[in-house]
Amino acid sequence: MGSHSKTSGMAKTSGMGRRTLLKAGAAVGAIQFASPFIISARGDEPIKIGVDNPLTGIYTALGKNENTGMELAASQINAKGGILGREIKLVVEDSTSDKTDVAVQKARKLIQSDNVNFLIGNVNSSHAIAIAQVAAELKTVHIVPGGHADAVTGSSCHWTTFRICNTGAMQGNAMAGPLVKALGKKIYIIAQDYAFGHALHDGLAKAAAKAGGTIVGEEFFPLGTTDYSAVLIKARAANPDILVDLAAGDDGINSIKQAVQFGLDKQLHIAGMQQELEVIEGLPLEARIGTWMFEWYWKQPNVPHVAEFVAAIRKVTNKVPTARTWFGYASVWSLALAANQAKTLDAVKVAHTLEGMKLPPEVALMPGAPFFRAEDHQLVPSVFVGHEQAKGIDDPEDLFVVDQVVNVADVMPTPAETGCKLDFPA
Amino acid sequence: MTFLKNYGVTLLVWVVLLAVPFWFPYVGGYTGLGTRTIVMALAAMSVNFLLGFTGVLSFGHAAYLGLGAYGAGMTIKYLLPSTPLGLLIGVLAGTLGAMAIGAMIVRLRGVYFAMVTIAFGQVFYFIAFRWSSVTGGDDGLTGWKRVPLDLGFTRIDILGNDVAFYYFCLVCLAASAGIMALLLRSPFGRTLLAIRENERRARFLGISVDQHIWLSFVISAAFASLAGVLYAYLDNFVDPRAFHWQQSGEFVIMVVLGGMRSFWGPLIGAAIFEVLQDKLSSFTDNWMSLLGLFFVLVVVFFPRGVLGAFGRKPTP
Repeated sequence: MGSHSKTSGMAKTSGMGRRTLLKAGAAVGAIQFASPFIISARGDEPIKIGVDNPLTGIYTALGKNENTGMELAASQINAKGGILGREIKLVVEDSTSDKTDVAVQKARKLIQSDNVNFLIGNVNSSHAIAIAQVAAELKTVHIVPGGHADAVTGSSCHWTTFRICNTGAMQGNAMAGPLVKALGKKIYIIAQDYAFGHALHDGLAKAAAKAGGTIVGEEFFPLGTTDYSAVLIKARAANPDILVDLAAGDDGINSIKQAVQFGLDKQLHIAGMQQELEVIEGLPLEARIGTWMFEWYWKQPNVPHVAEFVAAIRKVTNKVPTARTWFGYASVWSLALAANQAKTLDAVKVAHTLEGMKLPPEVALMPGAPFFRAEDHQLVPSVFVGHEQAKGIDDPEDLFVVDQVVNVADVMPTPAETGCKLDFPA
Repeated sequence: MTFLKNYGVTLLVWVVLLAVPFWFPYVGGYTGLGTRTIVMALAAMSVNFLLGFTGVLSFGHAAYLGLGAYGAGMTIKYLLPSTPLGLLIGVLAGTLGAMAIGAMIVRLRGVYFAMVTIAFGQVFYFIAFRWSSVTGGDDGLTGWKRVPLDLGFTRIDILGNDVAFYYFCLVCLAASAGIMALLLRSPFGRTLLAIRENERRARFLGISVDQHIWLSFVISAAFASLAGVLYAYLDNFVDPRAFHWQQSGEFVIMVVLGGMRSFWGPLIGAAIFEVLQDKLSSFTDNWMSLLGLFFVLVVVFFPRGVLGAFGRKPTP
């Protein structure tokens, strides 16, 4: 599970002098009480956006890329006058990748101690659901940039929470047709055993059945699994046409890498739904294969403003933006646009303004006009279905070829189907 | 003067704890962190009841924390939205669990006892992890929240008012600490100390050692499950990690950090642990390494814990 470097030991009486002990004790005591920051006077303080995203553990790369996008958005917004004429400032906390109680504690800290005006987080769907509950309790508008479980804008939706990335059902509906038509009817699914994996699995299973495919088997493994041999042997035994790998982050890298080492790619099609540049970059060349979906891709030659965005991010990180970078970017921009349009920071008013709000082209950075659906606070974007390539032809980071752009509005479940009932305060 | 000498530390502890909502924000804290600290302190004190005063190391007390937490959460979610009922059922679940498990393992000693407690903790962890339809699996148990206390003559809003909830937890801590202190001063407590000091001699004196250890284990687990209930109420959320051995390990670290022979040591340990974790993780991504380094230094330089370094005489 998580990597820990905590050490414990049993006490033993030693011959150390009392004086030494006292001195050291005083030193440690002083460290405890030295306060790093005392909250200063408010007034024309900047507007604070709390960021509760993983900076350690298996989602480090995803979390950090989202944060990079947020920072770019914040600097652009500040250059244009900030929110209501006040500068905006990001307050960043490490939620960890797998400890939900830490993520919840950080959300409380950001809202109650740092007094942030808005909250953003989390890559991990379980964290996103738990943080959303805190945000609703403390009446703070909250944006989930990249936690994909349907429940965030479905059965666990809250009036305070909005989401940028797609749900499992949206992805399943967008992806099932292309998979079944092009690759075969018998599908075997492997996925991480938590909200995200189950969401993608359920979305695909339902949509595949409609498209005429059958799920011949499925296997859920715990988050952070490193050895996939048992899972892959089972998958091969079921003899499917397609092995659909739904793992994200380092689990995605390890599972695809091992599937290729096992030679599975020679016996069946390897595919998936949501794929990310972070994962492909972590794969050896021979494992950069298969049919996948990107929620956002940096190479969109005919879409305005995308090139500027890519150039701006490259300036900061020397790398192209990923879908995660865009999630973060769109999160901060959405908050700023809504607050400026509502001319207030009042949570209820900002939330109502976000409902139905269309992202302008310089923020949307994709074909069509993504908007927040009023009934469940879910962004309705386009997604990019295509295949991986081992090496980019005119750019080393161009590792994905977009075959078709799917407008999610055409395939997404209706608000009634999501099970969301918004709980605005009376 | 004798009163001050005997009760000075206890008095100081309570004055500091009672005033937390007033002074904590000025040193960069927040009420939520204060509440978390006293909840963890209660769990660590329960571990210390067994480790420090009976001499038995449990490395699986998270099992009872988790039982308490899930007991309370599931009561409110599925049965009846009542804070006291959740508390009652949570503590009952943890205590009954400890009674059964304790009876099976009470004859083991030392590292074997510790290993088996870990194993039982992990059993609960995997049940909570796998049984998604009931426990919510890895996503945790959501969709419920603690309910304001209705005392008949008045209503205490522990849901919306976090200071009120802090005092609710503090009352629970006070009651638990009081009961533990009384028990330790009773002949039963003295017997536990005798077992800790020399088990064989205690046995020759005619003390039924296994029964005493079992009872101490059950009492300790009851307080751990009370901490679990409060832990669940704190976030209105509980996930399988509450059962995990890493959580048990954190309790042992808190106890060792604060001083395991002293009554208030675990409280100090929990405070250091929680505050340090909170602050370090805000400053650097490498907070886990620094935290680990800090524990190594404490164990090397304060083998008897922070309080052990100051106080010469273990209490009581």
